Amino acid sequence: MVEIGDKVLGYATDPGIRNRGASGGMVTAILAAALERGLVDSVIVLRHINEYEAVPVITDDVDEVLASAGSMHTVPVNLAKYAAGRKVAMPGKPCDVRAVFEQAKRNEIDIDNTFIIGLNCGGTMHPVLTREMLVRMYEIDPEDVVGEKIDKGKLFFRTKDGEEKAIPIDDLEDAGYGRRESCRYCDVKIPVNADLACGNWGVIGELAGNATFCEVMNGKGVRLLENAIESGYVQIEPAGEQSIAIREKVNSAMLSLGEKWSARVFTEIPEEQRINYYMEQFADCIDCGACKEACPVCTCDEDSKCTMYHSLADDYKMSMYHMVRLLHLSDSCIGCGQCSDVCPVDIPVTSIFRRFADPAQKKHNYKAGMTLERPPFLEVMLK
Amino acid sequence: MADNREWEPKIVAFCCNWCSYGGADTAGMGRFQQPSSLRVIRVMCSGRIDPLHVFNAFLEGADAVLVTGCHIGDCHYVNGNYKTQVRHQFLEEMVKEMGLEPERLHLNWISASEGEKFANFVRDVTEQIKKIGPSPLKPEGVN
Repeated sequence: MVEIGDKVLGYATDPGIRNRGASGGMVTAILAAALERGLVDSVIVLRHINEYEAVPVITDDVDEVLASAGSMHTVPVNLAKYAAGRKVAMPGKPCDVRAVFEQAKRNEIDIDNTFIIGLNCGGTMHPVLTREMLVRMYEIDPEDVVGEKIDKGKLFFRTKDGEEKAIPIDDLEDAGYGRRESCRYCDVKIPVNADLACGNWGVIGELAGNATFCEVMNGKGVRLLENAIESGYVQIEPAGEQSIAIREKVNSAMLSLGEKWSARVFTEIPEEQRINYYMEQFADCIDCGACKEACPVCTCDEDSKCTMYHSLADDYKMSMYHMVRLLHLSDSCIGCGQCSDVCPVDIPVTSIFRRFADPAQKKHNYKAGMTLERPPFLEVMLK
Repeated sequence: MADNREWEPKIVAFCCNWCSYGGADTAGMGRFQQPSSLRVIRVMCSGRIDPLHVFNAFLEGADAVLVTGCHIGDCHYVNGNYKTQVRHQFLEEMVKEMGLEPERLHLNWISASEGEKFANFVRDVTEQIKKIGPSPLKPEGVN
């Protein structure tokens, strides 16, 4: 029936789910089916609070899963840590999936029991900045917004009186809004390491806007999709040549845009100025430890090496906490941007960490979080 | 202190109990001339040296850090120095990215009989550090 490597277009059979979901409600339907038929014990979804806020919940209630339909571009939470120790299904952006793999390498997550529906991701937005952007750029009250979507390089916001306003994302980003910085230069847009890679790229013709393009990546993906079809939640049809080509085209366009951003963000700092740059940036640190708490690849508990050396009283020129973390993450940083998001003093933590992780990972010809085959280098096992 | 004495760098060397510490001993017994810039810290195995010991040495005012251990294959604990080697690759990369001169961090394998090698190594590093001056991470008020 379904085989590994299949590329299909699918949508939820239930019209309610189909309308509420972002593109045909397929992901919601697959998650609901997995839960209903006992493929998993629980599902991780985002419970909507408002347009800018949602909380991750681990639920065994099918209604809760169905209620979570619809995309949230302004909730850049990483779900990986919630999957630990459970038999779950979860939706995931490429960075969620990569974080799950990094957790699995450190024996926190059993990958065979974790079903991941990957979502194509061009980027997410910071909720606080989005509200600011709505006031400044769109000139609409953030509270009036009832929906958002990203289409053809433009960001649309719909207000409750039914008006729609769009501004090209490039313009927003030049003004410092739009996607989070780490998303702009992200280099994984299609989650090829997930079990199913879903997204609306490549959905054309009359299905556009209410079907999902889905690629089956592995055996768990087959089980997820077959289960959803058998239970009558999802209907699929094979994707045409044209769909596949368009999806590829969107992907490569996004990736080349990402490369441009990467060159823009990571301007070379002359070697003699580097140490001063880092010392200045980390001098602002208030030792709150939020970047470690939010980090989805960190598997250390509370008493970890980095936090042991948190001290505001030392006279060190650079924070020992950050030095330990910089080394520790140089083999595992996935560049998800969580640390920059939570930093209360706006240190560009993610881009600093990428500056260290990129050369180290390139040197070992390694990309963190893509497969289970390469071990974490700093915990290398010798046989 | 305003004096005309030449600035003497501070070099911290982590030496493993079984090889390089013995090497340092041999260097002394063989009366090989060594600069007085060295502070030796004995550890049981080079695999014990956590990168954070190295950072701490720098932040406490070391101008250079030497990590030394047994030759590959000779480790008293079978594979401790392989682990040191893996860590060093990442540490090296990090020191480079941070903008610290690569001369400030060295990894070297020295056996207990290689006293002369140890002395030469320390002398070389001291010369290099004298050329590039004090470490930018040295805290205020530390010489």
